[in-house]
This record gives sequence, structure tokens and C-alpha cells, in this order.
Amino acid sequence: MADQIYWDDVSEGEEFSLNEPMSSQRLVIWAAASGDFYQIHYDDKFAENNHLPDIIVHGALKGMLVGRLLDEWKGEQGAIKNWGVSYRGMDPARQDLTIWGKVTKKYEEGDEALIDLDVGVAQPDGTQTTPGTATVALPKR
Amino acid sequence: MSEELEDLTDEMKAAVGQETGRVTYEVTTQGIRTFARSVGYTDMKYYDESVAESAGLPGLPSPPGFLGMPIFNPNADSRGRRALFENPFQRNLNGGTEVEPIEQVYGGDILDAVSRITSLELTQSRLGKMLIQNSETVYTRVSDNKVVAKTRGTGLSY
Repeated sequence: MADQIYWDDVSEGEEFSLNEPMSSQRLVIWAAASGDFYQIHYDDKFAENNHLPDIIVHGALKGMLVGRLLDEWKGEQGAIKNWGVSYRGMDPARQDLTIWGKVTKKYEEGDEALIDLDVGVAQPDGTQTTPGTATVALPKR
Repeated sequence: MSEELEDLTDEMKAAVGQETGRVTYEVTTQGIRTFARSVGYTDMKYYDESVAESAGLPGLPSPPGFLGMPIFNPNADSRGRRALFENPFQRNLNGGTEVEPIEQVYGGDILDAVSRITSLELTQSRLGKMLIQNSETVYTRVSDNKVVAKTRGTGLSY
């Protein structure tokens, strides 16, 4: 379990990330978890017939990887208020994706200590396909 | 017909604000484990009920964003939702997702999910004419009638 992060210790501009391999097996497990059985995500021939360069990573899986990034960063005492991503590009499978977050604003509202973030998913060459934003509440020291 | 469409049809305009369906979602412990595995969680509280209980939780917690699976009905569409208007476009893309967790969900919870179209827009994209549909789904736990999450999604048809 990760150490607890505190609002007081976070700085605007701070960045954190996960590096996640995207195998065909992982996409099949996601299909079972989500109920999304569209063949472009696990059937090579189907993907090829749809003029895709490879099977592609489910958009929703990328969104939930951002959720995991935030869940692990906030620690047990933090809370995710919301997050959202746009699916602007396809990510071919069988490559690593970087799931990242960057603190954009630190503020207090009512009795909550909040952090706004930019979040996203990047391909190995740096191409950004899944930009988004999030707000997380963190405990104060 | 899709390229000839100049504006939203009356049927489309009337669909905004309407419910597209009410679906029951089951949050099973096995569903939580499969979701956690596919997303790459290593925290054992998402897999082992004894770990969750020793952390003071009443059961296996659902990772953020996992709201279970709709109960499968072979006689309905996969999400149990109904079409409120005739969509002239053939291809569909998922444009984005937003999640607002409100209450912690646990294995064994049954959620009542109600979806509503919040906006429809006809626009010109690089793929041709495109219908952008925004919707919101509100998930309520049946056992205590609490809203546990809201999700918002964007569907692109072209």
C-alpha cells in the first residue's frame, strides 16, 4: 500500500504516472470485466478488415486506468471527486501506455482540501490520445 | 440520409431530457476481482474479503468507476436501453467518459441505473456529418436508496 499523500505536501506542476503494458490477454480480461465484446479489441482479422493497424485498446479501459492512477495516488484517506477523459485517438495494443497526472490547482472549498489535475494517456512516442481532468480531495496534516 | 440531415429531427429534439432506460446492475465480488485485475490493481482489498474486512470495510470494495454489470437479457440490447429516435448514422464511437463517485460501492450491491440524454448536436467533422450525444446515468443502490455515482458519456455517430 502506498504512503498517504497530504494536501500540504502537493505542489502545482507536480506530475506522476503509471507505465502499463497493453497485451491482447489484458484486453480480453477487460472485455470480460466490462461486457464490451466488440471484436476490434481482440480479433486480429476483424481489426484488419476494419483497416486498423492492430487490435486497439478499449477507450473505457484507458478511462479506468486513469481512475486507478488517481486511486493509488490519493491514498486511503483521499477521495476522488470526479474524473473524465475524451477519447481523441486510438491506441494500438501490444505496446506500453503511460497513464499520467499533473497537478494544475490546489485550493480549499468549504471543509475540503482539493486538487485539480490534468490527466491523460500517452503512447511510447509521446502521442496523447486521451486527455482529461480530475478533482481529488486529500487530507491535511 | 445522414449526409442530407441539415438539422436535428423533431424526434431527436424531443429525446433531449428523456430517459433512455432503467437498468439493474449487479456488483458481484467476482466482477470486482476481474475489473481490478484488468485495470492492474495490486491492492489486495479489491481481491480478498478478509483483507477488506481487516481494513474496516463491510465487504469487497469496488474500485473507482466499477459499477457492476447489467443483468444480461438475451431479448434486449446489451445495455437494456431503448432508442428514442431513428439514428441515420451507421458508425458509432465512444467520445468520452466522466465519473463522479459519490458513495463507496461493495460486492453484493444492486444498483438501479437510469440514463437520460442531456444534449444532442449535429456537427460537421473530418469524418463527415456527426451526431454528438451526451448522456448522464445516475446509479442508485437499491438497499438504501442512495445515489452512489453519476457517469456522463459522449457518443459520436457518423
